[in-house]
Amino acid sequence: MTVMKYVLGLMALMVFTACSKQQSPIEVSTEDYHKSVDKVTEIMIHDIFSPPVASRIYAYPNIAAYEILAQQNNEYISLAGQVEGLTSIPEAGASDINYPLAALIAYMDVSRRLIFSEESMTIYRDSLYQQWTNTNETEFMASKEYALKVAEHIAAWMDGDNYKQTRTMPKFTVDIEDPSRWQPTPPAYMDGIEPHWNKIRPFVIDSAEQFRPTPPPPFSMAEDSDFYKELKEVYDISQKITAEGDESEEIAIAQFWDCNPYVSVTRGHLMFATKKITPGAHWIGIVKIACRQNKSDFNHMVYAYTKTSIAIADAFISCWDEKYRSSLIRPETLINEHIDENWKPVLQTPPFPEYTSGHSVVSGAASTALTSIFGADFAFADDTELPYGLPVRNFDSFNQAANEAAISRMYGGIHYRKAVDIGLQQGRSLGQFVLENLSMVKDENLTFN
Amino acid sequence: MNKYSIGLIAFVILIACDSSDGGLFKNPSPEDTGLEFVNSLNEKEDLNILDYLYFYNGGGVAIGDINGDELPDIYLSGNQVKNKLYLNKGNLQFEDITEKAGVAGNSTWNTGAVMGDVNGDGWLDIYVCAVVGINGFNGYNELFINNGDTTFSERSAEFGLDFDTYSSSAAFLDYDLDGDLDLYLLNHAVHTQESFGKADLRFKRNFQTGDKLLRNEGGSFKDVSEEAGIYGGVNGYGLGVAVSDFNQDGFPDLYIGNDFHEDDYYYLNNGDGTFKECLKEYFGHTTRFSMGNDVSDINHDGWPDIISLDMLPEDEKALKSSEGDDDIQTQKLRVDLFNYHYQFTRNMLYLNAGGRHFTETALQSGVAATDWSWSALFADYDQDGEQDIFVANGIPKRPNDLDYIKFISNEQIQKKINNTRLVDQQALDMMPSGAVNNYYFSGSPEGGFINNSGSYIKRDTLISGATAIGDLDNDGDLDMVTNNINSPVSLYINKTDDSANYLKLKFDYRLPNKIGVGTKVFSYHNGTLQYKELYTVRGFQASSQPMVHFGYGKVSKVDSLRIVWPDKTSQLLTDIQVNQTLTISPDQPQPFNYESIRSTGDRIFNKIEGALGIDFTHTEDNYIDFNRQKLIPYKISDRGPGTAVGDLNGDGKEDIYFGGSRSKPSQVYFQISNGFERRPVEEISADSIKEVVVAAIGDFDGNSENDLIVGIGGGDFFDGMNQQLNSYFLQKQGRFVQSNIPESFHNTAVIKPFDFDNDGDLDVFVGNQSISNDFGNVPTSFLMENRSGEFYVVDNNQLNKAGMVTDAVWEDFNRDGKPDLVVVGEWMAPKFFKNEKGKLKEVSLFDQELNGLWQSIEVFDIDNDGDKDFIVGNWGNNSKFTASEKQPLRMYYSDFDDNGSTETIVALARGKKYYPIEGLDGLAGQMVDLKKQFTQYKDFAGKSIEEIFDRKMLAKAKLWEVHELRSGYLINQNGYFEFKPFSNDLQLAPITDFLVFDFDSDGFDEVLAGGNYFGVKPYHGRFDSFAGALIKNKDDIVTGGELGLDFIQKSVRHLNIISMNGRPCLLVTFNNDKAQLYELTKHK
Repeated sequence: MTVMKYVLGLMALMVFTACSKQQSPIEVSTEDYHKSVDKVTEIMIHDIFSPPVASRIYAYPNIAAYEILAQQNNEYISLAGQVEGLTSIPEAGASDINYPLAALIAYMDVSRRLIFSEESMTIYRDSLYQQWTNTNETEFMASKEYALKVAEHIAAWMDGDNYKQTRTMPKFTVDIEDPSRWQPTPPAYMDGIEPHWNKIRPFVIDSAEQFRPTPPPPFSMAEDSDFYKELKEVYDISQKITAEGDESEEIAIAQFWDCNPYVSVTRGHLMFATKKITPGAHWIGIVKIACRQNKSDFNHMVYAYTKTSIAIADAFISCWDEKYRSSLIRPETLINEHIDENWKPVLQTPPFPEYTSGHSVVSGAASTALTSIFGADFAFADDTELPYGLPVRNFDSFNQAANEAAISRMYGGIHYRKAVDIGLQQGRSLGQFVLENLSMVKDENLTFN
Repeated sequence: MNKYSIGLIAFVILIACDSSDGGLFKNPSPEDTGLEFVNSLNEKEDLNILDYLYFYNGGGVAIGDINGDELPDIYLSGNQVKNKLYLNKGNLQFEDITEKAGVAGNSTWNTGAVMGDVNGDGWLDIYVCAVVGINGFNGYNELFINNGDTTFSERSAEFGLDFDTYSSSAAFLDYDLDGDLDLYLLNHAVHTQESFGKADLRFKRNFQTGDKLLRNEGGSFKDVSEEAGIYGGVNGYGLGVAVSDFNQDGFPDLYIGNDFHEDDYYYLNNGDGTFKECLKEYFGHTTRFSMGNDVSDINHDGWPDIISLDMLPEDEKALKSSEGDDDIQTQKLRVDLFNYHYQFTRNMLYLNAGGRHFTETALQSGVAATDWSWSALFADYDQDGEQDIFVANGIPKRPNDLDYIKFISNEQIQKKINNTRLVDQQALDMMPSGAVNNYYFSGSPEGGFINNSGSYIKRDTLISGATAIGDLDNDGDLDMVTNNINSPVSLYINKTDDSANYLKLKFDYRLPNKIGVGTKVFSYHNGTLQYKELYTVRGFQASSQPMVHFGYGKVSKVDSLRIVWPDKTSQLLTDIQVNQTLTISPDQPQPFNYESIRSTGDRIFNKIEGALGIDFTHTEDNYIDFNRQKLIPYKISDRGPGTAVGDLNGDGKEDIYFGGSRSKPSQVYFQISNGFERRPVEEISADSIKEVVVAAIGDFDGNSENDLIVGIGGGDFFDGMNQQLNSYFLQKQGRFVQSNIPESFHNTAVIKPFDFDNDGDLDVFVGNQSISNDFGNVPTSFLMENRSGEFYVVDNNQLNKAGMVTDAVWEDFNRDGKPDLVVVGEWMAPKFFKNEKGKLKEVSLFDQELNGLWQSIEVFDIDNDGDKDFIVGNWGNNSKFTASEKQPLRMYYSDFDDNGSTETIVALARGKKYYPIEGLDGLAGQMVDLKKQFTQYKDFAGKSIEEIFDRKMLAKAKLWEVHELRSGYLINQNGYFEFKPFSNDLQLAPITDFLVFDFDSDGFDEVLAGGNYFGVKPYHGRFDSFAGALIKNKDDIVTGGELGLDFIQKSVRHLNIISMNGRPCLLVTFNNDKAQLYELTKHK
């Protein structure tokens, strides 16, 4: 028996040695990268990150990957000096670095630092590491060493973005004396999330308030006031579409773009949550669809992810700046108070102030970035929400998708019209600014600016 | 000890528990007794906890003699199984006579089962509740009328009691005193719980969910809910009903326990066929998830007390992995916006304060946490003369498990629920079990309860619900039956036997209420009163054997029994031998005067309505400390207002200064001939941005005009903002001028002027309690020396670092003719500073560990021995904080997450380890990295503070400790001091101020104590129950509303005497409430 074990061990060793002698280059495909992005999304859903925080978790890892690729590929320009505070990453010393591989490793390592459930990430990572070790240990080790050095560099930069400090800043104080001020909403009555997100260091925009939108209509419950008309419009639309029931296209649209990471459900003492991806994650999903459809190569794919995720991250900072400036009350609170105490919105009201609509701002920014990469008439079938039980929807362009995402919030009964219209504008202007201030591609033919 | 031996010991203990019975109760097996009823519950895809919120509430149980053989019989109802009636054959043998009796029932889902004589023929009938009209449940509430021959006839329709609603239980009471028994039907809501809705939903009646009062009209019942003022809304999750004459006026009242956010209802019977619901007036707070309840006089004062159950786990692991209390802002919304009352997730024990209000003492009494609890039954099970408590509890699945809510449920059930609205067994199995042992608490003469769960009763893993009491073996002591889910019913057979004495009383009252429901008994032995009322429906979905039972320990003779019949007549029995069953019938009863049991003590204080023109209401600003410093143990922002009494206009009359909270101007009331008048003092009110916590009036500049020093706190402004600075107003020729005073940016708590250097002017001690945004850091307290009206800080490092100071007193404690200073504060011991040649030096004058959360100190000779003692107000022991010399309360203070701002982590000792008070979400809200460290709640739950934070991190933190939470006094023993705590009734809440005065004009000073405090998170609740106390000496303390004080549900900040034309009045200032003025009725 002992002899047997020994023999087996020896055989394993021999096999192993045999393999490692046959060194073929490691191939990292675009699908490998997509899978890793999906993996991070999956962990974020589990860990329950709010939409603004989720946008940060997409941006930094993609930038890490992009910076590595830009080191080697002359088509792409480093973001160092272009996004706030980022300095050049360390240069690659060794010659046998596989850049796509290093980019993917850096992506995973920076992501690991940002999510909570590290274990799921490391299990996923280690299975890939094993595979790469088996294929070409030397190349893998060199690439990994470099990738981790870059990840460290990015992490040090990331740590200066005020995220940690904002964790201990004051919570939003509810003041029910002020009828226009946001209040926690049913059913969970959660605290307002991320009231200090405007203190997070932006990537490209000058400051959180650079794209400060015009204020919402003055609060008034007078029936002829603009504000009240907006409120009534939300109620009327909701009554109309819920009467139409399952046939309603508007309800389908609302649900498709819900993108609420934590919808809490209460049945007596039983509580649970249905969790979905965030608005940012939905647009990251669209990046994947576009890359596949466009047959983008590895570099172009990382470029697309990076540009879009930066636009999304800055959009959240800009939007959240306004949300806690105007601190506007949600339709649900007012409708229950003044119009119909039993009314419930089609979508669950998310736990932060109303103005402007986060999904509108983000969709405006993301669609502008994507249009610049893939063109204005890029038709696609959006199957991002399939895993969450929602159907595929088809769009003629990113802009059309963004328009629909924005208006979906009114159908959902969680936003007034102004938050949607102005929000979309806010996002598009911000997106345009990002495009104009980021120079990522040398060959301008590669963009549709 | 290695793992193996631990395992072995656990194994041995398990075996030991399994094989033996409890010390007080044995549990004969179903095979031996024939009592084999099992409430088997089968979860199905379309019927489970998701479809029906009360899927796990269980069946009912009723005990009573249905055939007149003096042996109590047992009826059990089931949810998915047929009901059963067991005839007691004696010797604990039971025969299933369901078939013959015809009482199996025809409804799909039965709940409560109760016995009562509905048709008034002297035989016990059975009423079984049903849930009908949801989940395909059919049927109706069934009424089995006893034919007197062990058969029954279902006649609910005939009596108008065949309700097809969502019934939980029903209770018998003669609310209109017309001699027959009426019925209160308890229904439960099935509202989806998606939003609170407003409290006034209860005013709109709903047939299915609303409770009903049904008047017995002789042969049929009429729904009189509306006219009687009984709520019946869609919001009433009725799970508990108790009947008692709570205000001792002869008319039965009701306490209704409602689950979830709906308030409990406290109905006082107006005596004219109507009720007045007045919960908010009589109760400071209640259980949140109210389940079963029970009533009994537990403190021998002749007034019925109440326990209401909730679901707070005792076990750390269950506690920290279950959904906890509300966020403070959510609670505020629910109270301020939706108009619900304060509710907290734990059991509540309400002591009836002479019918004036209820004092809630569950934490102090040790009965607050019994996990998912259904039934509580008071009785003197061990017959020692004190009421004990049995709690039946458990839930097959804990649906409020945080991992389930946040992580597991999603992956498992989201799609299924969304698509089919069905949930499968596999998903349900993901919820952890809540099969917690039942609890047994022994009452003690001192008032507390001792948890004897593991010893008096067997430690079980049953899901027990409805429970009923009866003397099943007719041996005089009390046995119980619990209806269990998926296990045979448990018989608890009492083994007290003849080791302690008892009396069992049955009544032979008159038809149609032959068993005498509503009869009261006052029992006296050796000057001790025990009081009981006969109501059979008690606990949860159950009714107990109709009898009154008293335990007497070794006492062999009862001096007297005062029987008060439901018709308000009474008779007296004297010299009764114990250990017998008496059947008492009316025998020349005389009218009973209920006034005779009311307190006759004269009120020393009489509140002056209108307060002679003092119309000051302190309004606290909306600042919530926990929004900024999320982990601090209590607020620091709510210690105002400042109040000072003194002549401010030189007319020889005392005036009043009231400081405002942030941005609210201070107010000055000037005394005029017949009262007070508010007049503007522009210089003072202009200083309004600051939050005033304390104030002192005195002639500081020696110009014979009084000046004002104002101490500023509030916790809101920070980092050297000028709004934190104390203010100093000098009066010059009738005008106030703001003058310079040494800068102090810390939150001031006390300003004590005194001429400490004996140079003829007033010097001032300034005690500071905290540093805004940096709680846990030591603020700087200091002494200011007066030089011609200007103040200079006296250099004194010891005094500067005194601690988190809350109060101080100047007193020559070493009798050397020079004033010394005693300082108290939070997380510190009282500190004595001896005046040594004009320098205050700390001296050690006691050798106990006395760190407390001290709030107040005053000088008083409490033992009448001629030397001065100190009385000291502390936090009290009616809170979740626990502290002792050996196991102090701990608070770690450090910048744990290295982000430049500090945190505090409060930890409690449980067993040998310390656990943080906050759960994972609370801690991670401040230290987000913990979410990386603990990705599941169950990983965090049950972890001690050392297991959560690494040793180095804890070592670098400053450790604050509290050894003593009780208020008491430091008794002077030849210049050295020893701390003695007050009794429990002075430990109900923090005592925030003392006032020494001869209030009753008997020539001796007394001390008046005031308190209560609300600046804590819902985790702690509200300390609202302290009614004030007058301390005459250490053995003579009068508490509560007997004094005439109105302190309940109010937080006292200052007590002052103010002289009105030579007559002293008591001025009381509250935080966030209206100031009160009292006259002293005994003043000569």
